[in-house]
Amino acid sequence: MKRFAFFPGCLIPARYPAMEFAIRQVLPRLGIEIVDLEGSSCCPDPIYFKSKDKLSWLAVAARNLSLAEDLGLDVVTNCSGCTATLSEAIHLLEDDILKKKVNDRLGRIGREYKGTTRVRHIATVVRDEVGYERVRESVVRPLEGLKVAIHYGCHLLKPSKIMQVDNPDNPQVMERLVEALGATAIRHRNWYLCCGKACQTEDIPMNMMHDLLTTVKAAETDILGMICPTCFSQFDYGQMKISKKFDEVFDIPPVYYFQLLAFAQGIPYEKLGFDSQRFKPECLLRF
Amino acid sequence: MPEDADRDEPVRVNFRFRRELAQKIEGNLASFCYQCGACVGDCPATTYSSGFNPREIMLKVLYGLEDELLGSESVLWQCTNCYNCHERCPQEVKPVEVIISLKNMLAARGIYPEVVSKIIGTFETTGRTVRITSAIDRQRAKFGLPPLPPVPMDEVRILLEPDTGTDEEE
Ligand code: SF4
Ligand code: SF4
Repeated sequence: MKRFAFFPGCLIPARYPAMEFAIRQVLPRLGIEIVDLEGSSCCPDPIYFKSKDKLSWLAVAARNLSLAEDLGLDVVTNCSGCTATLSEAIHLLEDDILKKKVNDRLGRIGREYKGTTRVRHIATVVRDEVGYERVRESVVRPLEGLKVAIHYGCHLLKPSKIMQVDNPDNPQVMERLVEALGATAIRHRNWYLCCGKACQTEDIPMNMMHDLLTTVKAAETDILGMICPTCFSQFDYGQMKISKKFDEVFDIPPVYYFQLLAFAQGIPYEKLGFDSQRFKPECLLRF
Repeated sequence: MPEDADRDEPVRVNFRFRRELAQKIEGNLASFCYQCGACVGDCPATTYSSGFNPREIMLKVLYGLEDELLGSESVLWQCTNCYNCHERCPQEVKPVEVIISLKNMLAARGIYPEVVSKIIGTFETTGRTVRITSAIDRQRAKFGLPPLPPVPMDEVRILLEPDTGTDEEE
């Protein structure tokens, strides 16, 4: 078993516990052991708190990383935002001057950031440590014929030099992970477009989401495969708002990848929290 | 170019503004911008708003057009934080990071949208961006998950205190 320090962040454990449940179910079946990172805080978020004070943002991120260093483990994340903050912190802290500044702050609480830990998003851990073949072998309920539109979101992939997840112009990881479940992955025309959740104006995200949903709909898929909880909220609650505002029917059920994997591994539909979604992936009930 | 710049007048650069920006992490990167526009094509905020353009924002930074960048209706909040500009810029200017540094300057002046200050407030009091309530723990229990542990806020608060040194923001 390969061990990782598990950094759950805020959004998944607080708003989407079904996602956390699924992760905790599927990883052991794939030979990955996770150790809870006690005492961790928000990563902190790369949009709001970072826009107030980058240095404090970096100091709090470094504290979280130092907790994993104490355990001697690499960090596994389940949220693209946490992955972005922690990966960027590691990148910035390669600069000795900045590292000293941050360590001066950490010194106030008797901590130090050493730079000995790495951060891996759960999708890359599964790709690199488990492999698509073993994912396929873990499936007891192949999702043959299920058409899944793919939405990567922004922060998993970019900036690619820092995130080091996949080629942002032609990523493969989600498609291959979905195919390992027996399903068909489909790249809709606006796959590259941002969900708009981190934009602090009203109209821009509305219009972006409308365009996004229009091309997802045109792809005629059963569900939308998601990897980021922030994007998920845009496609669940947000999709309802867009339908109302534009008076058009948008009703594609978004599904977080690891819930889909858990389902394919045989965990019953009712246990996976799909009923609390606004758009329920009832199409899965045929498997 | 400043709107009121007379053709015969030399361009005046606001260096005080640029020095303040340069103190923010990666705030100085705009200095490497050669105005090629590679950051514009994939910028969704540019596509969806006529008032937004990362190349223009970098130009305003180079001139130090403080009033245009740091007003209460700042265009900076239209950025969707998608990081496409960071990916595309051949000069590694990281326009989105410069924009975030500019937001740090806005914050120092106490100007940010309500939704932003609300989430920051939640983080600064609870250490999370989502307020933890008993309803959340009940939801977690349905999935056999334990209640969320509180964050050691004594430690986080100490980390948030500004440095006493001279190189912090004035
Ligand atoms: S891509 Fe880079 S160098 Fe070119 S205009 Fe944008 S910020 Fe400037
Ligand atoms: S991060 Fe902001 S400025 Fe950069 S491309 Fe995205 S929306 Fe445009």
